[in-house]
Amino acid sequence: MTASWIAIARKDVADATRSRMLWGFTLVFVAFLGMALPVAGELFPDVVTVSPAKALAGVAMLAQLFIPGIAIVAGYMAVVGERRTGSLRVLLGAPFTRGRVLAGKLVGRLVVTLVALTTGFAVAAALVVALYGAPTAAAFGGFVATGLLLGVVFTGLAVGGSAATATRGHAMTATIGSFMGMVFFWQPLAAGAYAAVTGGLPGRIAEPWYFLLKRVNPLEAYRVLTEAALDERVDAVPQFPLEDVPRHAPLEQLAMTNRLAGPVPFYLQDWFAALILLAWAVIPVLVGYHRFRTTDLG
Amino acid sequence: MPVIDTTNLTKRYGAVTAVDGLDLTVEAGEVFGFLGPNGAGKSTTIDMLLDYTRPTAGSATILGRDVHAHAAELRYDVGVLPEGFGLYDRLTGRRHLEAAIRWHDAADDPATLLDRVGLDGTDADRRVGQYSKGMCQRLALAMALVGDPELLILDEPSSGLDPHGIQTMRRLVRAAADRGTTVFFSSHILAEVEAVADRVAILADGDLVAVDRVDELRQRVGSGTTIRLHVPGAVPGTVTDIDGVDSVTRTGTVLEVTTSDPAAKADVVTELRTAGVEIQDLAAEGPSLEEVFTAYTQEVSA
Repeated sequence: MTASWIAIARKDVADATRSRMLWGFTLVFVAFLGMALPVAGELFPDVVTVSPAKALAGVAMLAQLFIPGIAIVAGYMAVVGERRTGSLRVLLGAPFTRGRVLAGKLVGRLVVTLVALTTGFAVAAALVVALYGAPTAAAFGGFVATGLLLGVVFTGLAVGGSAATATRGHAMTATIGSFMGMVFFWQPLAAGAYAAVTGGLPGRIAEPWYFLLKRVNPLEAYRVLTEAALDERVDAVPQFPLEDVPRHAPLEQLAMTNRLAGPVPFYLQDWFAALILLAWAVIPVLVGYHRFRTTDLG
Repeated sequence: MPVIDTTNLTKRYGAVTAVDGLDLTVEAGEVFGFLGPNGAGKSTTIDMLLDYTRPTAGSATILGRDVHAHAAELRYDVGVLPEGFGLYDRLTGRRHLEAAIRWHDAADDPATLLDRVGLDGTDADRRVGQYSKGMCQRLALAMALVGDPELLILDEPSSGLDPHGIQTMRRLVRAAADRGTTVFFSSHILAEVEAVADRVAILADGDLVAVDRVDELRQRVGSGTTIRLHVPGAVPGTVTDIDGVDSVTRTGTVLEVTTSDPAAKADVVTELRTAGVEIQDLAAEGPSLEEVFTAYTQEVSA
């Protein structure tokens, strides 16, 4: 018999909720919403009447940056922080396995991220209702669910990265670096791969595997799923002009389903995007666990 | 069954061998001192016993169980004071102790444990961030005592402690031993090991130089202490006859007396004073670790 991870999680929540940085980030997110939502119409390129769903799509656009930011801040020091201060030696001096320590840390930080996000979403919901009326329950429920799932993904990435590295600097590089890569390099790399294989940039009609390549990025998977939930377009942030598509093509032509020559393959269905997000929620934690379990805690 | 048993325990970091094929056995009920200078591989060995680091070769068991495979469950029976441990600055000492008791599923009374390590109630209610190094060391020791373990593993337990704290530590180690607890502790100070250990292992550069009983160690190293006295006047020959005095040499005004019995030091001073000899200055020094190593390595090569 060994001690349970619950003790670690409980202590961790108490510890992490004292972090000023986390609440600062949440506050910035809420403040951003407060500024952006009243002028949500300006977020769209055309003059539009802002429906509740459109307003949520605007929130989702910002959330692509804020959710990972909050989750990474909440999670990246989870394990490596205890390792640097030496308190990990105290925890492992008690009857905890390394796996239990990691599990407790992960659960603790998930609770923290999800509480912070729920706070943010509650404020967002109140603002949307006040300004643009109530969204449908399905749209709002889907919006919250995809947002929380993205929070889970990046908390897993942050805690996994924290477990896999020996210094704070390396943990930051691994977690923030991964996020930066997803934001800035994924689209160019996908377009580059497309050019390398086909000899040209992706056009308005492109090969289906190109869309999959983009979608393996958890931020893109989140975007796709949120679009499906809201039935509204959610722009990628930032959007690189790397595709050879007409500048003023109607939005409908730019919908992914209208950019395929053939039928939509299974891997471009919405459920597959959900699967991609779930895989991202699990794999970094497993990698972190493997490295943490086998490393020397010198 | 030995409490600690290592077989060819080895740790290499690249080309550097930190611990080289250590075979060590610690029996139940003994206080075992692990002596060596800083960098000898003491902490590396203890880290392997605690499964913080993994051996390059060899293995170790505690209470008959492999230290890696059974690391977590062994903690119910092993109290640990690791090197380089850290506490939670924002939590009070009492909180720490309560957490440790909960983690171990133990029924200890925090007040009793605090009392045993010499922390009072006011200390316990302060945040650990305000603690001195010595107080942290005492608190960590209290946490190690949770659950009344069969074995205590203490890595440099006296580091950061003032003389009073060192006394408390010695008293605690002896008290634990009297209750039947096996104690394995490391130190780079010979006097400390001599004061509390039953047996001692001497480690240098990752190699085990010797394992010996402390009384035999004392004998082999020969003289306990050398006293240097600054005496301008004549010295009576009776000093050589004092029990425990091994040799007396005079160089100019400096009298060097080597003793094998700690009590002899005071006797020498008393003898000189009663003979009316003026002592202008006095210094005593125990054998250094180097002298201990020399004593053992020469024996081996002879």
